[in-house]
Amino acid sequence: MPQGIKYVCLSSALALAACTGSIGSRSDLRGDDVVNDTIAKSLCVVDTPIRRLTRFEYNNTVRDLLGDTTKPADALPPEEEVAGFNNQAGALTSSDLLIEQYMKIAEAVSARAIEDLQTLLPCDPVLDGEDACALAFIETFGKRAFRRPLSPSEATRFKALFDWAVTDANLGRFEDGIQLVIEAALQSPSFLYRAEQGDETPVEGDIVPFTSWEMATKLSYMLWNSMPDAELFAAAEADELRTQDQIAAQAARMLEDDKAGDVIRNFHTQWLLLTHLDSVTKDNGVYPAFRESLRPLWKEEIERFIEHVILEGDGSLQTLLTANYSFMNEDLSSFYGEDVLSPVSGPEFQRVELDPSRRAGLLSTAGLMAMHANSNQSSPVFRGKFVREQLMCNTLPPPPNDLVIEPPELDPTKTTKEQFEEIGSNPACSGCHTLMNPIGFIFEHYDGIGQWRDQQNGKDVDATGDVVQTDDIDGTYDGAVELAQALAESSQVQECVSSQWFRFAYNRTVTQEDSCSLEQLNQVFASSGFNIKALLIELTQTNAFLYRRAVEPNSDETGGEQ
Amino acid sequence: MLKGTIFGGTVAIGLPMLDAMLPRGATAQTGAGPKRIVFWFTANGTRQDIWSPAASMDLSTHSLHAALAPFAQKLIFLDGVDQSVAYDSIGDGHQTGMACLLTNAEILPGSLFCEGSCDAGNAQYVGWGGGQSVDQYLADEIQKDVVTKFKSLELGVQVRNASVWSRMSYSGPDKPVPPREDPNQNFNDFFSDLDSDPFALQLIRRRRKSVLDAVMEDHAAFQQRLGYEDKQKLDKHLQSIRDLEGRLDVSTSFGEACGKPELALPGGSYEQNDMYPVTGKAQMDMLVMALACDLTRVASLQWSRSVSGVRFNWVPQTLGEGHHGLSHYGDGDANALADLLEINKWYSEQFAYLLGLMDGVQEGDNTLLDNTVVVWVNELGKGNTHTRRDIPFMLAGSCGGYFNTGQHIDFGGEPHGKLLVSLAHAMDKPVDTFGAPQYSQGPLSGLT
Repeated sequence: MPQGIKYVCLSSALALAACTGSIGSRSDLRGDDVVNDTIAKSLCVVDTPIRRLTRFEYNNTVRDLLGDTTKPADALPPEEEVAGFNNQAGALTSSDLLIEQYMKIAEAVSARAIEDLQTLLPCDPVLDGEDACALAFIETFGKRAFRRPLSPSEATRFKALFDWAVTDANLGRFEDGIQLVIEAALQSPSFLYRAEQGDETPVEGDIVPFTSWEMATKLSYMLWNSMPDAELFAAAEADELRTQDQIAAQAARMLEDDKAGDVIRNFHTQWLLLTHLDSVTKDNGVYPAFRESLRPLWKEEIERFIEHVILEGDGSLQTLLTANYSFMNEDLSSFYGEDVLSPVSGPEFQRVELDPSRRAGLLSTAGLMAMHANSNQSSPVFRGKFVREQLMCNTLPPPPNDLVIEPPELDPTKTTKEQFEEIGSNPACSGCHTLMNPIGFIFEHYDGIGQWRDQQNGKDVDATGDVVQTDDIDGTYDGAVELAQALAESSQVQECVSSQWFRFAYNRTVTQEDSCSLEQLNQVFASSGFNIKALLIELTQTNAFLYRRAVEPNSDETGGEQ
Repeated sequence: MLKGTIFGGTVAIGLPMLDAMLPRGATAQTGAGPKRIVFWFTANGTRQDIWSPAASMDLSTHSLHAALAPFAQKLIFLDGVDQSVAYDSIGDGHQTGMACLLTNAEILPGSLFCEGSCDAGNAQYVGWGGGQSVDQYLADEIQKDVVTKFKSLELGVQVRNASVWSRMSYSGPDKPVPPREDPNQNFNDFFSDLDSDPFALQLIRRRRKSVLDAVMEDHAAFQQRLGYEDKQKLDKHLQSIRDLEGRLDVSTSFGEACGKPELALPGGSYEQNDMYPVTGKAQMDMLVMALACDLTRVASLQWSRSVSGVRFNWVPQTLGEGHHGLSHYGDGDANALADLLEINKWYSEQFAYLLGLMDGVQEGDNTLLDNTVVVWVNELGKGNTHTRRDIPFMLAGSCGGYFNTGQHIDFGGEPHGKLLVSLAHAMDKPVDTFGAPQYSQGPLSGLT
């Protein structure tokens, strides 16, 4: 085969245009600086597409519905992943394989469920009669499975299935009938999809609020990634999820539950790309201290730290980004060496105090530093890209097509920074790389596995970098501790975090219509001292959450079969 | 144990269920088995500089393909076939390389996939692939003649996240088809009803039918309140249930070569990087058995995905980085070239393993390999330029004598849509074009 033509780089003008063009886009989202206390209900309301449960949500839901902790949905194909998250309504499609596996896991879950029939039933089939007990089960179970009372025709359908099973020659037992009801319910769209269609009476125009049943479901899937609990169901039954205060009170209660911690972990795993940690490998010739058993420790440190700050600590974004404490066990603490001022012993993770001149918050964790590095050296490009994209919500275009990308080879006479400076100064590449590399240089005290270094290749590490083209933190920084302070106070970062939560919590990307909801979120986030819990509660108070546009009735000409 | 030969002539009689176990519409025939088509995907381009064979087709000393030497006369190497449509499409090199590969269609505009921030005002979004892929087209067509247990089987090895970078099969525009990645699950899904009591199987089918009927009634009621787009989504879901129900009666047809494969299954660790070879082998073993049992006529095996970051810790290495990183070094980097040689050689060895299994299944006078065309595809030509020209396409097996194998052809820049047309013709579906018509005017010449 002939060799491809080698294009080394684009013209600098083109590269610059590509980068600066996308950097400015975020400001398009901003409305006026004045935030209205009362946003007209006609603003910031969009359609809410139906969304099927993710695997995580399915697993949580059957745990809460039937006590099934086997994580059956792990057998389903992975979610379509967009905008950095796997729960985006527009992207989740179905496929033949998905439907086939829904059937199989429903069979397995329902078979396990009837093993403990007593706890499942609200009645006694012997004392109350099998028919009456089946109907009672269908009503109570159906309400929890569908997250609303069943319609009479739904109840009739399930009863007919029960009757079929108990009269079939080869089945015939009461519990066979119960099993089939569960099996069918778990494959019903009312279980698999969230379709909050809104109340019938508009508040104005075509803007409708949600019924209390729908609101219970919205709250529980947003804050727990699971079905409502008994208290939410009781509130729905009493129609007490109508006012903003009622909703906020439930949200505050829900955040105290362990299930909220699972959601916070789920969010950060996706936002910070933590699954990448599972496959980090390093060149042991360069990093003899690396071993695969470090990966879960790195991950656990990050998760413990985040959960502690948000759920038990002061909850603030600043603390997440700048705290000089963390959670480690003996193994991890000795890996960090003298950066840990209060080393711990034993396999349990405990709080440790860190050298505040070396470590500050999330970004300087060994896990994130190791993840954003090559196997044999640190990577200023990856680290800068991570900060730009995940924390500052910048968009960096991928390297142009037909570009040969050559990372610098290891040069034992130079520091990593010196090598990357040579590459970055190439005018063809500098358009985008001046946005990434200098931020990455600021992390140069952390080597490719996140350990502190003062020297590299016999030279002093230079961890200074010029940060440019930001909203509010342009300047020269020396070391990650300095940068972390600046990032923590940057409104660009604060707004980026709230928009990441917006996408995750609302299961969709931000649109132009969301500007006033975002303004409201950002204002409350700021006035709470950038408290993540306050942000989560406020996510239940926006028009984007409280209302939707009424569904236009779908007539038969679209070709559906009834 | 039930034994017999489906395509070899005799069928063991003795169980009343046997007719029902044949694929619907299939007849026990003497001579050759049915035609099958299998797609085999590897990522990040190849070593284009050394990929082609010598004119003699002697592969015994070939630096990449020596393992394929025993099958040289059953292969066709295609040089100079370009993914031309990818250059018209929106999307980056890997996205277009992947989504256009089997569709010959441009990627749809959309707001799904982008780099970094995905807030409003970003012009770099793309959607899913924009057409039905040729494997799914053929699967649909074949099902008009014969209902197999699976319309098609898509197998994957560590494909991981679902995105436009990781899907090559599409049941239609905007409808990606996920591969089956868990070999343990596949074993149950494919083979659990082999050897089972026919009456137990019948009960399972009856039950499933009752449940699915109830679920479909539920769908009808659920859809009444939905808006147009939501309804489209649910229609597709409902269609899949209908399809599933339609296949409940189809069971595995037993043949001499068909039985439960004995496998070294990787357990729960199939997603771990270093289980890649073990997982791949289990998937290949099951794929061949699924074809031998006629569970399907259309299949694919997708190794990883475009931008594959697999670390090939089991081959000799110099740099030891992930595949995608390695594929981006310059053409003059001897270390990277050495590692890329080892990676692509390893893939060629796996291909040889698959072909060996298939060639060992006798079907009348032919082998399963002879009755099949296995198509090796890649989203790129070469990784460091993201070129989608000169894709390293290879065909193995003659598809029941349709292809004239044992040759190496340089097409000098023909669009790959013509290859897709050729494949449809080989499977007796004489389409004029496939996907973008301007890039698929008839089949490639010289293949038959």
